[in-house]
Amino acid sequence: MSAWLHLFTLELAVVAIALLVLLWDAFAPAAGRAVGWTTALLLGGVFAASFFVDGRGTVPHGVFVRDEWVVFHERLFLAAGILGVLGSIDWLATRTPKRQAEYYALLLFSLAGMMLLAGARDWILLVTCFELMSMPLYVLCAYGKQDGPASEPKLAAEAGLKLFITGAASSGLTLFGLALVVGMTGTTHVGGIGANPAPLTIVGMLFVLAGFGFKVGAVPFHMWVPDTYQGAPTPFVAFLSVAPKAAGLATLAIVLLGGWSADSSVWLPVLLVLAGASMVVGNLFALPQTDARRLLGFSGVAQIGYALLALGAMSRGGLAMTLFFVATYVFTNLGVFFVLHAAAEEGGGHSLARIAGLSRRSPWLGGALLVFLLSLAGIPFVAGFWAKLFVFMEAWNAGLVGLVVLGVALAVIGLYYYLTVARSTYMADGDRTTPVPTGFALRAAILVCLIFVVGLGLWPRPLVEAADRAAAGIVSGR
Amino acid sequence: MVIESPLLAFLIVAFAVAGSMLVGAKLLRVRAKHSSPLKPTTYECGESPAGPAWVRFHARYYVVALFFVVFDIEAAFLFPWALVVREAGTAGLVAVFSFVAVLMVGWLWAVKKGALRWQ
Repeated sequence: MSAWLHLFTLELAVVAIALLVLLWDAFAPAAGRAVGWTTALLLGGVFAASFFVDGRGTVPHGVFVRDEWVVFHERLFLAAGILGVLGSIDWLATRTPKRQAEYYALLLFSLAGMMLLAGARDWILLVTCFELMSMPLYVLCAYGKQDGPASEPKLAAEAGLKLFITGAASSGLTLFGLALVVGMTGTTHVGGIGANPAPLTIVGMLFVLAGFGFKVGAVPFHMWVPDTYQGAPTPFVAFLSVAPKAAGLATLAIVLLGGWSADSSVWLPVLLVLAGASMVVGNLFALPQTDARRLLGFSGVAQIGYALLALGAMSRGGLAMTLFFVATYVFTNLGVFFVLHAAAEEGGGHSLARIAGLSRRSPWLGGALLVFLLSLAGIPFVAGFWAKLFVFMEAWNAGLVGLVVLGVALAVIGLYYYLTVARSTYMADGDRTTPVPTGFALRAAILVCLIFVVGLGLWPRPLVEAADRAAAGIVSGR
Repeated sequence: MVIESPLLAFLIVAFAVAGSMLVGAKLLRVRAKHSSPLKPTTYECGESPAGPAWVRFHARYYVVALFFVVFDIEAAFLFPWALVVREAGTAGLVAVFSFVAVLMVGWLWAVKKGALRWQ
């Protein structure tokens, strides 16, 4: 046992922090910001430790493989976790001071599930990690259950219920599919899918794909995304909109490119249809939205479409650019949601009219929002530009010309609605003129996101190289 | 006749069992006249129904059920371990006790939060 336990150092550390938070809350409940800051700092310590812990290796029977791919994802999830905690500290301390600890503990458990997920190469471990990631998210979604606008007081409960029911249904689909796959191939190893390419294996894998499609929110499994984003607490939506998506894409990569690459003629058309449909539906349905969070929900669906497109290139470069795209998306989307949260916190909700005149009231917040929106739209010199460019280049090289043309055309539509939001912050006049009050932790989180988005826009090379090394863990060769 | 495919055999048995149950119920049921007051009532194993079907249960039973799940899962892992306790050795002992410790932290937290208080 002890021969491979060191592979899980970081994951065990995250679980230990979660248990510490629970015990702290049980024996000496603290109502201030102490729990939140401690969690953020300890997670920061784990993130720093990820650069010094050299735990590469394989658990017996190849159940779990820790390589560059896992290290990349661990750091990505830890970064998202730290930022998610930072962005929630002020909100939790003012709204629900008495039950903060459960929020942090659940977020940490979810984080542990994601970190384990990246290395799982066995169906049982993979599904268990997926559920460990998902279950706390259902609870967190309904965390602010008494926290809705007067017109729709049950919005958070509705969001939680929708995520839970779609999540439970998709887990059911995945498990049913896996029962067929494992029954046909006779192995629980992910690499064994190709062992018996019988029709029933393929039917099972299509069920598995549909289940994962729900989790990443790809069209036609995207119905829960806008409703959940609209109702759940905004700092949590920031986390929900990035980390589980990254984990879902990692799973798809492990299963499709890693385990089932032999039969790509079967799943590639399915994947490309999902990518194309997500790009079309996400971008077009985002146009008429008046609630900023619904708009970002559909924008998230569209961005998943781009990421799936790069996955469909089926090369090491394509996978690397999926990772790069997801990493930039993590920082960009966290930033957008944090700024919206800051603007909505003083009352008035998340309608687009609410952020009118934001740049005049708080120039820094307005400027940060503009940068994040430009990054989502893919304008040069912010991180999102390279992400989109590399994704389209890899897809083009793989011969997916039609989808690339479609994606570029839809990106122009995306530019329109992202800039509509930006225009209202700069051009329109709001009904308030005082600066938006923001807590220190939230400002710190926005600043970190801003540094990453601008920094990766100016100097994307380190992340591109890290993504390329990570992708080599799944797809060998060029 | 020998059925080659186990899947086909399974399907035949499944349809036969389900079909025979439906047909049997149709043939053997006790028929109430249309005018009978028994006709529209809820079927409760032959007993006359007592009280409305939409009874509200106290939400606390839900918490009790969750507590049950904690110990249920614990037992589900402890029994297999108990069977191989010698072969699993010290490593198995440490693993099982860490698992129980994690469960107990959750249990302790819930108790401290008043999940077992019945007021």
